[in-house]
Order: sequence, then C-alpha cells, then structure tokens
Amino acid sequence: MKLNLNPLLLKEFRQRMRTVRAPLVITAYLFGMSVLTVFLLYENVQGQLYLVQPTKSQQVFALVSLLQMVVVAFLTPAFASGAVSGERERKTLAVLLTTPVGPFGILFGKVVSSSALLVLLVVLTLPVYSLVFLYGGAVPAQVASVLGFQLVTIVVISTVCVLFSTVALRSTWSTVFAYGSVGLMTVIFGAIGYGLKSLYEQNPIDYSALVWSHFFYALDPLYVEAAFLGVVSAGPHVWMAFVEFYAAVIAILLIPSLWRLRPQWFSWLPFVSGTEKQYQ
Amino acid sequence: MILTQNLTKRYGKTLAVNNLNLNIERGVIFGLVGENGAGKTTALSMLATLTLPSSGRAYVCGHEVTREPQAVRRSIGYMPDSFGVYDDLTVIEYLRFFAQCYGVERRVISRRAEELLERVRLADKREDYVNHLSRGMQQRLEVARCLMHDPDVLILDEPSSGLDPKSRLEMRSVLAGLRDLGKTVIVSTHILNELAEVADEVGILLRGELVAVAAVQVMVQHSSAYRTIVIDGRDLGDRFMKALMGDPHVAEARPLAPGWEILYAGTLAQQAELLSRLVSEGFAITQFREQPTDIEQLFLRLAAIQEGVVT
Repeated sequence: MKLNLNPLLLKEFRQRMRTVRAPLVITAYLFGMSVLTVFLLYENVQGQLYLVQPTKSQQVFALVSLLQMVVVAFLTPAFASGAVSGERERKTLAVLLTTPVGPFGILFGKVVSSSALLVLLVVLTLPVYSLVFLYGGAVPAQVASVLGFQLVTIVVISTVCVLFSTVALRSTWSTVFAYGSVGLMTVIFGAIGYGLKSLYEQNPIDYSALVWSHFFYALDPLYVEAAFLGVVSAGPHVWMAFVEFYAAVIAILLIPSLWRLRPQWFSWLPFVSGTEKQYQ
Repeated sequence: MILTQNLTKRYGKTLAVNNLNLNIERGVIFGLVGENGAGKTTALSMLATLTLPSSGRAYVCGHEVTREPQAVRRSIGYMPDSFGVYDDLTVIEYLRFFAQCYGVERRVISRRAEELLERVRLADKREDYVNHLSRGMQQRLEVARCLMHDPDVLILDEPSSGLDPKSRLEMRSVLAGLRDLGKTVIVSTHILNELAEVADEVGILLRGELVAVAAVQVMVQHSSAYRTIVIDGRDLGDRFMKALMGDPHVAEARPLAPGWEILYAGTLAQQAELLSRLVSEGFAITQFREQPTDIEQLFLRLAAIQEGVVT
C-alpha cells in the first residue's frame, strides 16, 4: 500500500528540526526536568534506601507531571501560533492554496507538525518518569493516562493556536490569541471553578454554583491532570467534558479559519465577497 | 486552453476587471500588459482559482474555475506577482515539496527537478538554501516550481518585476524557453517591450478592460506607425492646439509644462509640412523634436483615446 504523507508535514518537520531552536528546547527541557526529578527524589530518600516512602514518590510524580503540563501548555503556542499567519506574512500561502493540498491539508499539516516537537518532548521525558517507578507510588496505568492526557492537551492547544493563526492576519495577533487561550485554559477557568466552589461552600443551597464549578474545572487541563493523579477529587470522566468542550471550540474556530483560507466557499454570505486578496 | 467570457471582478465599488474576454489557444504564450492597478493580477488570480469572479466565466483546460477549481489547480502552475520562499529548504527540497503537493510520483520528481534546474540555469545551486538565492534566481526557481507537476498551463504574474537588467534578460530567456515545452502561458507585465521576443499574442488591459489584443508583431508594426513629437515655443495656447488638431495625422495632443506632446501618424515629409505650417501661422517654435515612443505607453494612450484599437 502506498503511504501518502501530507507533504506539508514532511516539509515542516524538516524545517523545524533544522533550526537551532528545536534541539535547544529539547536539551534544555530534558536537563531541567532531570535535575528537578533527581532533586525531588533525593529529597524523598535523603541519601538512604532503607526507608523509602511511596507516598512521597507519588507526590514527586504528581509535581513533575503538573509542571510538565504547565511547561508544555505555554511552549505549544511558541511553535503553533505563527503557523498559518507566518505563511501569509512570508507570502507563501497563495501558492500553497493553488496546490491540491487544500485548506484541510494545510491545517492538518500545521497542527501535526506544531504538536510533533511537544509530543517528542513528552515522550523523551519517559525515562525521567521511570525513575519514579524505582521507588513505587505510581502505577504504569496512571503514568500512561497522565501522559495520554498531556498529548491530548498538546493537540488541543496546537489546533486552537493554528486556527487562531489562520483567523488572525498577523502573527502578532495570533500569538496574543494563542497565549490568551492558554491563559484562559490553565488559569482563568481554574480560578472561576475555584471561585464558584467557594461560593457553594459558603452557601451550600446554591447547588448550581457547584455544577458550574465542576464545569469550569473540567476545562482546565491542570485540574483534569490533577484528577488523573488523584490530587483532587473529580468525576471519573472529567476528561471527557474537557475533550467535548474543546472539540466544540475547534469546530467553531474551524469555520472562520476555512473562510480565511477559501473565502470562495463562503461567497454566498454577503460580507465575504471580494475579500480574498487580503487573506491569502 | 484558456477561455474567459465577460469575466468581471468587483471589490466593493471598484471594478477591478470588467468583462474580460480572452481565448488563448494551446501552446500560445499570451502577454497581458497594463499599468499597475489595471487588473492584471486580479484577472490571473481568478484563473488561478484564488479569487472568485463577481460575474462571467473562465475555463482553463476545459474546466470552469468556480465549478471545478481542483481540476483547474492540477492543470496550472501559478506564480504570483509577490511571493516568498521557505527558509531552511534547499533548492531541490523546495521543488520536491511542491511536486509532492501535486502527488507527482517519487521516481519522477528527482529527474524532473534536475531537468528543470538545468532549464532555469540553477543546476549548480541545487543544494543551496532557497532563501540564500538572489531575487532573480528565486524568480527563475519559481518558474521551475510551476513546472514540477508538468501542468498544461502556466500563469505567471509579473515574473520579471523587481529584477535588475541582467536578471530580466535571464528571465526573458527562461520564458522564451517555455515555447519548446509546448505549454500555454499567460504572463503579465507592465512593460510591453519585455514580451516582444517572448509572447505570441499580447492583450492590453486598461482600468480593468481589455482594450487591444493582437499578435506581438502586428502590435510592434502598428506602434512603429506612430511617433511622439515634443514641441515647445512661446504662447502655445488654445489657438496652437486648434492648429495642431487641424492636421489629420495628429492622433493626440497633450500639454506639457512647458510645450506640447503629440502623437503623430504621418510620414517624415508630412511632419516637416506640419512644422512649416505652424511657423507660417505665426507660432514661435523653439523646439520640435521626436522622442522615443514606449510601445506600451503608446498603446495605452491610443486605447485611452479610442483610436488604433487593434483587433
């Protein structure tokens, strides 16, 4: 069977891995994570191996995982926020749009290539995680679910960033939107959830505050990961609400993105006609 | 191969292309000439499926651009007027990437890339990074890129713009070489002279309207019938203009600061008679000289005054 890989994907991989930034980010990240993990584990064992506390090891695992989620969430926009707006600014987008690759192919290639380096980062930290197993406390299934969720989050953030970079005509704006989205996901939603929960605790009759609190918590990748780690209590399928919500967000963002790439498809809308030039 | 029927594009109240009718046969190199803002880029962009026509139809290789855009895209190679290149890709990787976008078979890609690099005289640059090439080389590479999937039609928008004279000559030679490939080419420029050696037919676009279409040789011959003459002197006002327009060979007269510029279609003897008559009518002529005529400007002026429209 002939394997037809998206040509944009291959090109992006080649270009990204040729820059100094990619190996630099990977090296710095792995070094930082290794040093942190070894330090935390040393804190756990205190130089002796007679009395190892698995609960402390679990805490190390949780801390490293949450830290990784924060770093990955804020690194993803750096690779994805200029994906399409950069093509537009470099004046390479028009030519690409006259090839049979098409808008969906372009978006797919950009999302996968933007996620790839981050996925590589997460996969490369597996040996670091395995250090935790030495002292117990975390089971492989839990590690797999945490890493799996991190990968999902990377793809979600990447997709949102690429779509914003398609909608926004300039990379400056797409970067602002991308970091704004990550801030909303990791900080604002969590804060709203916390606020609503506090409200419920002060006034337990107001049950809707608790429901909305759970809703906003479910949109925060840090909270969902904390639920996987058992650090916070949440429903067993909290990640599903996360996936459903962001799938809806992506579906909504896809419409203006396609409009920017192929305004012709939306020519039946009165405000679209005659606007192709500035988008391509 | 390329057919447009009343192709029109409006941007709000601006009419960028107005009822464009073209019929370009297979293997013809067609030059679309016009000043900046004449509508060349918009017209080509509609043929390249990037811009939707407001009305009218356009067919490329028998495919209607709005109904079968994907089929049109497969049969064209499009070079926009303003383009960029990817950083950190070598020349050969750049060509390979675009060939892959069109689904060209792997075994064909390398051979074709080498052939095209020879054709555009970039064979020795195959391992250089695209962004390190000069502008002229990048523009020649774009022509090669357009040919990587072996399209029947090439749409080249101002391929020589922004080039120095040497690079322009090189590009002209590359364009002339396209004739050997039997491709149908539509190439736009704002300098008609550039197309004299390259194109078979030329169309002049003026404010979105096609005002003249002719074989290049016909157009060159036609333009040689006209001369631009600059006349200067004292008190050359309205009476002088009436005297000028009284000569049947004066196609157009426009005031300069100072003096007048006329477009003259008479012989040298008739030209001498004009000067003699003007002097005898009491006009103090201090200068009466012929100046080189830019073919494109000439045609634009002729078109503008609705005289000398070649069909």
